[in-house]
Amino acid sequence: MPKQITLEEWDLRYAKLQKAGTHQPDYGGPLSRHVEDGDQRLLKLRYDNSAAALRLWNFLLTEEDRLHDARKAGRKIVGTMKDLGTVPVMAYCFENIVAFYPDGAWWIPCVMELGAGLLEIADSFGIDESFCPVRAMLGAFVTGAHFPIPDMLICSVGATCDDFSAIAQRLNGLGHPIFWWEIPHRRNPEPDEPAVNLPGGFSAPKCQVEFVKSQLERVKTTLEELAGEKLDEQKLVAGIQKANEVRRLLAELRHLAFTAEWCPLPALEMLIAEMLAIHFCSDRQETINVLKELLDEVTSRVRDGKGILDADAARIFWVNPVADLQVMNLLEDCGGRICGTEYLFTHALDEIPEDLPPLEALAQMALADPMAGSSIDRARRICSDISLFGAEAVLISRIPGASHCALEGRIISEIVQEKLEIPVLEIEVPPVTDSMRPTLCTRLQALVETVKARSHKQQRKRRR
Amino acid sequence: METIVYTCPYVPAEWIAAHGLRASRLLLDQVDSAAMFIRTEGVCPFVRSFISEAMRNKDAGGVVVTTMCDQMRRAFDILERKCELPAFLMNVPNTWQSSESQKLYIDELKRLGRFLVRLGGKSPSNDALAKIMLEYDATRATILTAREYLSARKYAEAIAAFGRDGPDQTINHVTDTELQTDGVPLAVVGGPLMKQDFTLFDTIEQSGGRIVLDATETGERGICGPFDRRRIHDDPLLELADAYFGGIQDASRRPNSELYKWLQRELASREVQGIVFHRYLWCDMWHAELRRLKDWTNLPVLDIDTAGDNETGEYRTANRIRAFLEMLQ
Repeated sequence: MPKQITLEEWDLRYAKLQKAGTHQPDYGGPLSRHVEDGDQRLLKLRYDNSAAALRLWNFLLTEEDRLHDARKAGRKIVGTMKDLGTVPVMAYCFENIVAFYPDGAWWIPCVMELGAGLLEIADSFGIDESFCPVRAMLGAFVTGAHFPIPDMLICSVGATCDDFSAIAQRLNGLGHPIFWWEIPHRRNPEPDEPAVNLPGGFSAPKCQVEFVKSQLERVKTTLEELAGEKLDEQKLVAGIQKANEVRRLLAELRHLAFTAEWCPLPALEMLIAEMLAIHFCSDRQETINVLKELLDEVTSRVRDGKGILDADAARIFWVNPVADLQVMNLLEDCGGRICGTEYLFTHALDEIPEDLPPLEALAQMALADPMAGSSIDRARRICSDISLFGAEAVLISRIPGASHCALEGRIISEIVQEKLEIPVLEIEVPPVTDSMRPTLCTRLQALVETVKARSHKQQRKRRR
Repeated sequence: METIVYTCPYVPAEWIAAHGLRASRLLLDQVDSAAMFIRTEGVCPFVRSFISEAMRNKDAGGVVVTTMCDQMRRAFDILERKCELPAFLMNVPNTWQSSESQKLYIDELKRLGRFLVRLGGKSPSNDALAKIMLEYDATRATILTAREYLSARKYAEAIAAFGRDGPDQTINHVTDTELQTDGVPLAVVGGPLMKQDFTLFDTIEQSGGRIVLDATETGERGICGPFDRRRIHDDPLLELADAYFGGIQDASRRPNSELYKWLQRELASREVQGIVFHRYLWCDMWHAELRRLKDWTNLPVLDIDTAGDNETGEYRTANRIRAFLEMLQ
């Protein structure tokens, strides 16, 4: 029976699965072993009890080992910063390059419950708590203890958040060379200006697509120099097809998870599954395998009418990723479920056009980044996804200190309410929320109660 | 004549003026956070004041915003929805080393030109643009020379007046000669100043210091490079873009190594003995540079952070400056 279990319960279940001969990949094992590495937050989370979820978690928590193995094997490690899903597609086309996402270090303070001291290190380099928790990345580079220092860093700037841009520049100033590429603010085409419809529904002037393409040409050249290998169109097309395989699996998974009557997979596992699209967690093929198993599990649960939450759970659309993973559990504790997400990387979930020259297709993807355009565009995409998944309320999760969060929440909230007339709530989630759990709980409960009250009212109206 | 308002130094006033419109770079007033219509937590006080000014301004014909920082970029979203003034968002690339970035800047100037035409401006001929560029260039040169005999505050006010009024009325601000005061030579480094921040110059002078380098965005650092007269006649728009995009160094550039080269040159030539670093709360771009600057320079650096909206902050700033100068004297 699908349910959410604790880490302790997972160890008992792991022993049973092993006895039953359940196949585990080479990085498999009991989840509790990761606590020995300092990942204390794992003790406080609740997990899906399927073998597919076990594989997902083990895949996520062994990325550092994979990176070290890649280095030992002589492969080049490229840190792809900020673009959230575009450059990794290109990087994985090279045999001897592994791309990873240093920005992901923003979850280390949460997972290690501040035990790694990365935020204190960032403080000591002048990047204090007025910056987004992604400042943990700076600490991770200084200690060199959480991932091997990459052979190359590639970072997109321009229409990005100031926090990351400033922190990346600080990193650069500390002696880590960075290859910068520009992503301009996506604007609406002017009347009579040639325009392009981007994946995901946005549009942009053709000249902006061409500009981004020229930037990606530069990225391609620098990757070729690092790899000592030419990246021809055929290889790039193959890389795009593989990325699309990941994206199609995720699209199916998202559709099932967000629209099924009984929620078939918890919010936390869904968040991690979506994150795999950004850089494939340093192994593209294994990402596909992990997602396939997860999709099989979810498909069978939906077919059998099984889920992990009550059928009347309030259907919430979640905006922005959370710095504390436990908050995803908290929403479910409060009677909600996730029915739609916009974790800042919807462009990494939309399929890359395969009928275009590959670099142009990637340029379109990069420009489709919700953060590259206006908050108004982003709000419209959120509205369209809400209609698709049937969410009944929106929760905007503010990232402490993040430059975009200061002004975007109000715009998104206003547009959602104007267009859809559903409740919107904004919360702020720091890396560890223990001290503010009661406050967060109260706010989430209030949202859930509002949704349920509205739902009952609508049901009564329909009966009349 | 319609007035076009803006704050970003990468918006060339000459380009607006050449379209037959009046370019006015705003010197902002601080806004009390309690009086703001938007949530203020996390919002840089300068951006807050800019939004407030654009919403209140009934005299201007349009407003130009740039993408130089993320909060300004997002301020444009607010203006687009709430402000009656026609607003234009200009992409100013953060990267500067590739020819594509330079071309993007020029293309954005052309797009700005089309916006100005929609507001009633006329597309300028090369000769008309060149003439206006020469006029601005001459006034800029006069202001830069006036640094030798104006107090730091008067000098900053002359730069602000030039931005606000253009070359015609600026000359009045630079004719009053004043004796240069003695004092420890200091630089003020940071983003833009607001009107009330100009008391900083007085406080420093009263405490025994003297600003010899105004490296804020509203000071000398935000002034474009001189024009090449030969190139003005060959291709004025290209020369304009070179002088602004290539001539103004800022913390937001990637990489921003040229800012440090500029500082190195200017700090040395003016024999600066200390740096006052001015930044707004929630301004990530400048905040992140503070520790780097401290590591980079041998000069003492005083951090002045401001939320921009209370008197306590002013007293605190004055006290810190006095203590800093006591140590330097």
